Amino acid sequence: MNKRSILVIVAIMVSLAGSVAVLAQDSATGKEGTPWLEGINMPPHPEDLSPVLPLKIYMENGEAIPATLTEDVPVTLVADTAIFDPEPPAEYNGTELPNAKWSRNAAVSWFFIDWEKNKNIPASSSVQMAVNQMIVTPINPTGRGAITCHIGRKMRYSDPVTGKNRGTFANASVGHDARVLDITPPTCGLEISVQGGRSGTFWVAENPPNKYPLPKMADVYFSGALINEADPAAILTVQGLELGSGMVVAPEQAAVHVPADAVLNIKVNGEDNYKLDTAKLKYGICKGAGGEPVPVSAINASEIALAELELPEKPYLYVDATDVSGNRQVLYVPLKIK
Amino acid sequence: MKFWNRFWFVVAVMFVCASVWPVYGQEGDTATETPALPSSVDMSLGAVNSEMAMPEGFRGQETEEGDLRWLEDVGILMAENSDLYNIDANAIAESASFEGPPNINWEIKKEDESGNLNTESSENTNVASNPCNITDPGYYQVHNGGARQVSSAGGAEDAVGGTDEEAGGEAGGSSTDTAGNTGDEGGAASGDAQTVTAQQRIGIQVYDCTAPDVWIAFQEGAGTVDMAASEEALKAQMVDRIIENLGKPFSTDAKDFEDASYIFIEEGKDDERNSIPWEKTARLSIAGTLFNERGAPKYESGKLSSIIDKKEYTNHVSVVGGEDKSVKGVYVRRNVPFIIAAVSTDNGNKRASAGEVEVKIVDANDQEVARDGDAYLFRVPNYPREEYKDQPDYFFTTQAADKDGNMTTIRMPLYIVNTQAAFEGGSNR
Repeated sequence: MNKRSILVIVAIMVSLAGSVAVLAQDSATGKEGTPWLEGINMPPHPEDLSPVLPLKIYMENGEAIPATLTEDVPVTLVADTAIFDPEPPAEYNGTELPNAKWSRNAAVSWFFIDWEKNKNIPASSSVQMAVNQMIVTPINPTGRGAITCHIGRKMRYSDPVTGKNRGTFANASVGHDARVLDITPPTCGLEISVQGGRSGTFWVAENPPNKYPLPKMADVYFSGALINEADPAAILTVQGLELGSGMVVAPEQAAVHVPADAVLNIKVNGEDNYKLDTAKLKYGICKGAGGEPVPVSAINASEIALAELELPEKPYLYVDATDVSGNRQVLYVPLKIK
Repeated sequence: MKFWNRFWFVVAVMFVCASVWPVYGQEGDTATETPALPSSVDMSLGAVNSEMAMPEGFRGQETEEGDLRWLEDVGILMAENSDLYNIDANAIAESASFEGPPNINWEIKKEDESGNLNTESSENTNVASNPCNITDPGYYQVHNGGARQVSSAGGAEDAVGGTDEEAGGEAGGSSTDTAGNTGDEGGAASGDAQTVTAQQRIGIQVYDCTAPDVWIAFQEGAGTVDMAASEEALKAQMVDRIIENLGKPFSTDAKDFEDASYIFIEEGKDDERNSIPWEKTARLSIAGTLFNERGAPKYESGKLSSIIDKKEYTNHVSVVGGEDKSVKGVYVRRNVPFIIAAVSTDNGNKRASAGEVEVKIVDANDQEVARDGDAYLFRVPNYPREEYKDQPDYFFTTQAADKDGNMTTIRMPLYIVNTQAAFEGGSNR
């Protein structure tokens, strides 16, 4: 093998190695990693000039938007951008925009994005407000969220080259990252069944939803043969309980009726509007209602034989739940032994 | 042998150099500085299948530079792109990286009479293309708003009026107190990830291709029927009802039409509305006692085809009555005064208002028949036609057109029936 052949081999191998590296990069930038661009054959930048102007959003009083918001608590925000100026910019990125005039009003859109779910909720207000203002009420807790504001306004200008009128949009958008605190207690309930297939269920729903100021309110729903033997499909509603650690259903409102020798199979329906702290979830039979539950059965037992318990005069089923933010719900439902 | 060892050593070194070089080249650009992230980047937005977009000067109207021209009810695929949607964040800032997929929202806003742009629809699709179907005429803006969490060791630009941390600490603490929670003291919401946004809008003039809805009421002034104090009162009642019912008949029960008989022509039931312009239909409903010679109450409804102008894409709904048609005509009693009122509404403003439409009674030569005072009154019957061949033919006609030239027209025979024969005896005398 002469020196020339060796050099050729070396050259081929070097180019091969380079190509492999480039090829690896190319495959990484393919559409398979960007499913949202499927079928899109459009450049990422507008072909015609379309100014992007700075935008700042802040609280109505001029202060910065907090990095932590509270669910259901509205904040009034203000958008500050040159799009609201009387005239559009006369130049953009070094290009003159002669005779620039706004041709339409500004269009403004506000959103709250929950990045944990990658879902947004558009903000809207029934209150008459200035075009650059909006009331944003985050209604779901999240550890990663953002308020975004998008503003666009149609403008026209004379093309510096042709002198013809051109129409385009001036755009401005910005995001403010914020987490949203959970202030709603869990809404847990229980499902009880006994021998013979009879069962009873009770569950909790926040009503009205997203109520602020506190306290949160809820209704408790009951259904099943252990609630109403004559009409197991009927749904009984106990309305207007304060959602929290003292949810006591009175015996005259609703109760779970079970035979004295019954073995209760208990299943918990753990519900929270954000994240339930499952380690703190407790349920079972307790003595009395209100305050801290005093269990008379094994905590979180999926099966309870009533005959093996020393039942108090007024036993209650209870469910004690706490979410990861520390909001607590304790619900007491009368247990009537036949 | 020595030579070959040295040769392969050189090859190996060069191979390693060649493999590492592109990566080193990348890192070399970014390792030294970590520039701040922009708060927003630009975006392109446009229609993909634009063959159904109308040309400039469509219907002789000028549109603003840069605006698109669409027909109502024709879905057009919109697409957008931005550096936010790339697989990596290098185009946003050096050394930046995306924290997850983008959030993509499609919004349609409609301009009202005051020039304000109000949201018609908002869809969080997280996809960069979207079929847009605008079902009412007017000026619209399609908006795409994109956002994505981007991380950069360089951090974000400061917010106005202080840092997020300062404000967040205070407000978050306050909220925590209120809520009775602990553990959140504000501060950065999600590490050093920052939401970077992009947006673009496009103006769209949407043209009306739907014929107006028309209601015509006939009210007699005899018997137990309490005739409206004036034609204006009847019209006022119709205006309220046509708006309230979005052009659809206010009832389908024949019993509700004892006071007055109605002809309803409208775009149809919910599933019949908003058809594409060249497949549009209309619904004709007749209700009351004046649509047969016996005066029997009825409610009937059927679908009509609509005729489209292939150049202007305007629609024309034409109702023609007659012996060989589904609606033979309107039968009124001789010597009984009656009034006719017609109102029209259009989808141009979402049927939010109604206007009066002229309705006339004409003879076969299109000569208008005069009223007798405030009402029409015919003293000589002309029905059955074979018995009253010497009596003139009468027709009632009406025409409603919207500002784009879509039109609804009606021409229907008006028969004057011998009162007792038709309404009392069931046979002619």
